[in-house]
Amino acid sequence: MTTPRPFPFAPTRRSFVGLSAAAFATVALAACGSNSAEEVDVESQNVGAMDDYAADTQFKATEPIQVSMLWTDWPEVPVEDSWRLFEHIKEITNVEITLTHIPFSDATEKRSLLISAGDAPTLIPLVYTGEDAPFVSSGAVVPLSDFADKMPNFQKYVEEWDLAEMINNLKQEDGKYYMVPGLQEVSVPVFSLVVRKDVFEDVAGGVPNTWEELHEALKLIKEEYPDSVPLADGFEAQSMLNYAAHAFGTKAGWGFGDGAIEGADGKLTYVATTDEYKQLVEYFRGLVEDGLLDRESLTESNDGSGAAGVDEKFANESCFAASGSSGTAIEFATALNETVGEGNFSVGLIPPPAGPAGDKVEPRNFWHGFMLSSEITKSENFLATLQFVDWLYFNPDAREMLRWGEKDVHYTKAEDDTIELMDGFSLDDYAINTGAGTDIKIDLGFSTFPAESSESRALKESYSTPEFVEYIDDVLTTRTPRDPFPPTPMDETELEQASLLATPIKDSVDTATLQFIMGERDMSEWDSFLGELEAAGVPRYLELLNNTARDRFVEANG
Amino acid sequence: MAPDAPRPAPVTARTSRIKDSTSYKVFTVVNMTVLVLMCALMLYPFIMLLAQSFSSAGAINAGKVNLFPVDFNLDTYKAVANNSNFWRTYGNTVVYTLIGTTIAMVLTTTYAYVLSKKHLKGRGLLIGIAVFTMFFNGGIVPNYVLISSLGMKNTMWAVILPPALSVFNLLVMKAFFENLPNELEEAAHIDGLSWFGIFFRIVMPLSKAVIATMVLFYSVQYWNDWFAAFLYLDRTDLFPVTLFLRNLIAGASTAASEGAAASGSTVSDINANIQSVTMILILIPILCVYPFVQRYFVSGIMLGSVKG
Repeated sequence: MTTPRPFPFAPTRRSFVGLSAAAFATVALAACGSNSAEEVDVESQNVGAMDDYAADTQFKATEPIQVSMLWTDWPEVPVEDSWRLFEHIKEITNVEITLTHIPFSDATEKRSLLISAGDAPTLIPLVYTGEDAPFVSSGAVVPLSDFADKMPNFQKYVEEWDLAEMINNLKQEDGKYYMVPGLQEVSVPVFSLVVRKDVFEDVAGGVPNTWEELHEALKLIKEEYPDSVPLADGFEAQSMLNYAAHAFGTKAGWGFGDGAIEGADGKLTYVATTDEYKQLVEYFRGLVEDGLLDRESLTESNDGSGAAGVDEKFANESCFAASGSSGTAIEFATALNETVGEGNFSVGLIPPPAGPAGDKVEPRNFWHGFMLSSEITKSENFLATLQFVDWLYFNPDAREMLRWGEKDVHYTKAEDDTIELMDGFSLDDYAINTGAGTDIKIDLGFSTFPAESSESRALKESYSTPEFVEYIDDVLTTRTPRDPFPPTPMDETELEQASLLATPIKDSVDTATLQFIMGERDMSEWDSFLGELEAAGVPRYLELLNNTARDRFVEANG
Repeated sequence: MAPDAPRPAPVTARTSRIKDSTSYKVFTVVNMTVLVLMCALMLYPFIMLLAQSFSSAGAINAGKVNLFPVDFNLDTYKAVANNSNFWRTYGNTVVYTLIGTTIAMVLTTTYAYVLSKKHLKGRGLLIGIAVFTMFFNGGIVPNYVLISSLGMKNTMWAVILPPALSVFNLLVMKAFFENLPNELEEAAHIDGLSWFGIFFRIVMPLSKAVIATMVLFYSVQYWNDWFAAFLYLDRTDLFPVTLFLRNLIAGASTAASEGAAASGSTVSDINANIQSVTMILILIPILCVYPFVQRYFVSGIMLGSVKG
């Protein structure tokens, strides 16, 4: 019989704790890694860089280089390493892009993990404004403002499209910006009102230009179609409140953001406590009272595609105006084709109506841009990489290539700059040459997310439907974008504090706003609502925004 | 006995039984009713899920689908089934589950058996090391760095090895082994069996119930796991099906909101029931395995938990 051998180490409780602590410390140290800031001399880290690189010139690395890139995998567009996109970029720039895949569903979390662990690839795309803030203190991403002079295309189009002030607002609390955004020559609200233009013409004499006109028109439509509830949202009220708020001089819904707005004294104030916000709520309350706004469409949960069966209501002519994008307008039209019949109706997106604050729409905005992982600052290819991303994100030819493919292979460009796909190629996402055989997006990789980032007006219009082009034109000629909201950059700890304070306050605002609009709470209780907000910590939150973030930013940047 | 002969047995049995009291009958009726209601409560979401997975988008959005499919529709099943990535990831999941469960069972049974031997010196430390991890862990980023440093990133081992030893399962199994009569092992020793011989030829055959339970626990754990893959895998060809489907759900919602209807695609139809189809497809293998394992299930977990 084999006797069990004694275990050579009989631990005491103290030694057990000591061992555990040592193990923990080892792992923690490994996680921290070295973070020593080395001197960066971009001019000498110039292997592969062009000496004469300038705006609007073709970038081609003087020797082959590799740039690693984070790629978000959209499930309906599975990325293929064999995509022509990557091959073509390599041919014309001498840069091989290597991919790190992250699933779309949890892209932001995975991106944070990779950056925090120091394992992120060089090029981190799909970064929206403000998303760089959590990485500032760790030094994990490059302060791109320090190297803006190495990105001539970026500088050129910031100036040409009058975006310098907005770029200034990207600065973090240390006065630098760490992400470079996608630049838009023109920006219009993606979501607005989609209306049955023919019904508004017939019943109300035209599409409404103001929220008051809309109210009157809806009353007339209600008289004509008594069973209808002519206006709907379908996005839990968040969409309609968002685009309406600007015309009322406030912020609400999707655009509520940090809830801060500049008051008359130049200090930030909490938007839900302002008279303008109350006025907005009262307006929509009036619509609900008159039976003009579909209550169900304000409350039913929305999974991203719009809820409460608004498309069916549109098709059945029990709804005539609803929140949506240009895609929603097409959905409604498709549904109406089956009920009302093709050619018997006209549906389209109209500019957000004007209101008490004038013809204001949301401020001009950026689109997603990129960050660079700090590891690249140690590379001999640093300058070449800066030149490459500048070319990729801002050079007009690169933008056109990312959207349409190779000129005269996949598309042609007429003398009047009209772009058409060649035979055999389609872009099904925008219903261009549908069914032609090779989809330039799914099969070749063009028109994927990198194509969205920076766009001139001409490029945006090149793939948009005529209706959307008309909408862009309408918005640009009849509406004025608001001034950008004052930035309040914070460090990581302040962000955490602000988030802890702001989340419950915002929840109270959302609940109460809907209660007031739906008539479940009397307007006489408005003051008690303001009291609730105060009790929830609005003064402390504002103090943090004003006395910490805002003042510091003004001091640093003027 | 002739085929037409009388059969007295049942009559005898009924007459010989003690008559149920009225209160017992009431109790039985109430008991059965409550159990049937509970059963319906448990089954309803699943049946509704099944019905939704076969229904059209319009019917689902209009809230018409309850117990039966409305406007029978297989678009989403077709969309998912025609996706080659789906089958590749499904295959990955099967591999991860099979290899993972095997490794996990080897680790858990051997570790638990060792721990069940009270005369083992250092037993307290071995238990402490395991239990410590139930309450403390390094956090996501240090774990990520550790897995990367070990060279397991972007390999299936990153998905299989970290969760291969569940301390809860380990303790249940340890308690089960402690309950086995020592005399059996002593007899085996006297007959000349080694420790491994005892383990494989005496202990394991006597532990079928707890082994079946643990196999179920581990296989469900590996089958449902997406987080480890999300953390440690950057290559889509290694993703498990849960990650693929999670992505599909998120993508379908976004595609619909971005107006993918422009292409006349069926995305909005798919979006309506992608979640139900997803869940059904993930559930099928577990549903198939469960009936074969469940008879061990209750006894397995109870046997192990009597002694803590």
